[in-house]
Amino acid sequence: MIVVRDPALAADARRERRFFLSLSLPALFIVGLAAILPILWIIRQSFLTTGGEYTVGNYQKVLSSGLTWSALVTTLELSLGTLAGCIVLGTPLALALASVRPRLANVLMAFVMLPLWTSILVRTYGWLVLLRRDGLINAALTGSGLTAEPLPLVYNFTGTLIGMVHYMLPLFLLPVYAAMRDIDPNLIRAAASMGATLRQVIRTVIMPLSAGGVFSGSIIVLIYAIGFFITPAVLGGGKVNPLSTRIERTLSTFQDWGSASVLGILLLVLMALIGVMLLAARRLVAQNTVEASHA
Amino acid sequence: MSWLRISLTAFAISAALPVHAQTVTITTAGGDYGNAMKEAMWGPAAKELGYDVREETLSDGLAALKMQVTSGAVTTDVIHLGSPEGAQAAAQSLLEPLDYKIIDPKSVPEGAKSDYCYPFDSYGTVMSWNTKTYGENPPKTWAEFWDVAKFSGRRALRANAQDSIEIALLSDGVAPADVYSVLSTPEGLERAIKRLEAIKPDVAVWWTSGAQSAQLLKDGEADLVITWNGRAQTVKADGGAADYTFKGSVIGTDCLGVPKGAPNKEAAMKLIAAMTQPARVAKLTDFIAYGPVNPAAYEGGLIPEDRLKTLATAPENAGTSVFSNSEWWVKNGEAAQRAFDEMMAR
Repeated sequence: MIVVRDPALAADARRERRFFLSLSLPALFIVGLAAILPILWIIRQSFLTTGGEYTVGNYQKVLSSGLTWSALVTTLELSLGTLAGCIVLGTPLALALASVRPRLANVLMAFVMLPLWTSILVRTYGWLVLLRRDGLINAALTGSGLTAEPLPLVYNFTGTLIGMVHYMLPLFLLPVYAAMRDIDPNLIRAAASMGATLRQVIRTVIMPLSAGGVFSGSIIVLIYAIGFFITPAVLGGGKVNPLSTRIERTLSTFQDWGSASVLGILLLVLMALIGVMLLAARRLVAQNTVEASHA
Repeated sequence: MSWLRISLTAFAISAALPVHAQTVTITTAGGDYGNAMKEAMWGPAAKELGYDVREETLSDGLAALKMQVTSGAVTTDVIHLGSPEGAQAAAQSLLEPLDYKIIDPKSVPEGAKSDYCYPFDSYGTVMSWNTKTYGENPPKTWAEFWDVAKFSGRRALRANAQDSIEIALLSDGVAPADVYSVLSTPEGLERAIKRLEAIKPDVAVWWTSGAQSAQLLKDGEADLVITWNGRAQTVKADGGAADYTFKGSVIGTDCLGVPKGAPNKEAAMKLIAAMTQPARVAKLTDFIAYGPVNPAAYEGGLIPEDRLKTLATAPENAGTSVFSNSEWWVKNGEAAQRAFDEMMAR
């Protein structure tokens, strides 16, 4: 930050700052219109009866219902399962991408990004074709004699998880790959020259230095996964009911906007909680890494 | 320069039309059913009346209706609902009363009459099965459908209490005539839910849309599917390895209503009257096996003899069917759905 002593110059700098701030007004306006206002409207709705009178009954009804809590558990199971899947599949992939030659990495990246540009509906129904009882995977399994009976791969929790991990993987991969690519190769060479095994290199160099990317990726995965609707609705076979499908059911079958709004707020609070928790964890890890490197 | 003249003419016509033609918006369920209604019913009626009809499609009519009416932005003039939803919508005063000066009151049998939502066709919720799995020996009753030892196989049921709890009681030996009196007692509802819970481990899919149920049947994803007869008939007619029976079906009707505050109320009533003329509701069966409610449509050979068998209201199926009771659903629907959802979550 340059400290300006001349009052005329300082006024000029202030004017310039104001101008740049004003450039963000249209964006702020759109965010306010498209995000903040509807949320305020939902909060208001959550306190209204069907007749339009103020009440806290919706909160009592939703929070005392076992259905809400089982939906919450399903939401958490799906989100954490998706995150685990992304970490297990995505981290080694990011490591591989970061260690190959840049040109090859670009080609491989294209394969990663391609599904990202495909509509979620198409991808979800695509999985249906692959996973169903007489689908490609089961036909291969039973045809080759690996299994006697088709495996129950879809219309259940497994199928939903497969669809969600597939959708989230590229979004998880990007920040992790970016973090790993930025690791100075000299650090790895130095570690290797001091006699570190590959496992030690991964544990002491790569993991701490890419933790930030993994956290960013995790935040993205969790925040998306909590609100997933289409994938559980199509691949869950009616048996996987997270908060999102509970909201839809409350609206369509019960026409209970108040309760649906309460469920929506619950989802919002959950998202905020997870965001805060992950950011706090990230700070903690960053601190530990610094301490460890000083030790 | 002829293309210019054509496009200019087209422009002139399109600019002139909105001024002269009455525009009416109809909301249907879409898919095969929506197309059938367009071809047989509102298409010809619009031509006759000289209306310009716009179609919107929605799979969840009641939620959309409520959204439009309560937000004060009603865009649809005629809406297609299931009769229980129609009765629910009427109870929440989301519908205009039907104008029986424009619509012929004699076209509805006494028992089916509604002041708010005009019943025009009927369907059966039926048992359908994969003919490859069961060959000549499928389950014949709901009790056998529940007998997973004798008839092993994957079941698919609708993820909704509607019709499911009626069928559950039928499977438990309740006579069709007694279904609603049993359901009206707390123990009766619990009995139905318990029965559904008993078959739950063998339910591979709880479907949420009619199109999905047809897909499950066609792909062989499920061996036994409870679905609507029109969907089962379409799979069968398309050469799918599927068959179905009307024995023990739950018969319901679909209806047409006019949302409260609809922009073209009178034109909407006229469209309902015109599109439900006997010949038109009879013609609907050319496209989908949903039989007319209007008794006049069954006269004068409007519907071919061999097709009558594919309709839920076929005389030979009488006695084993339950007629879906809209009043019961308006009163007890919420409690029943909640009990159903709780069963699903257990």
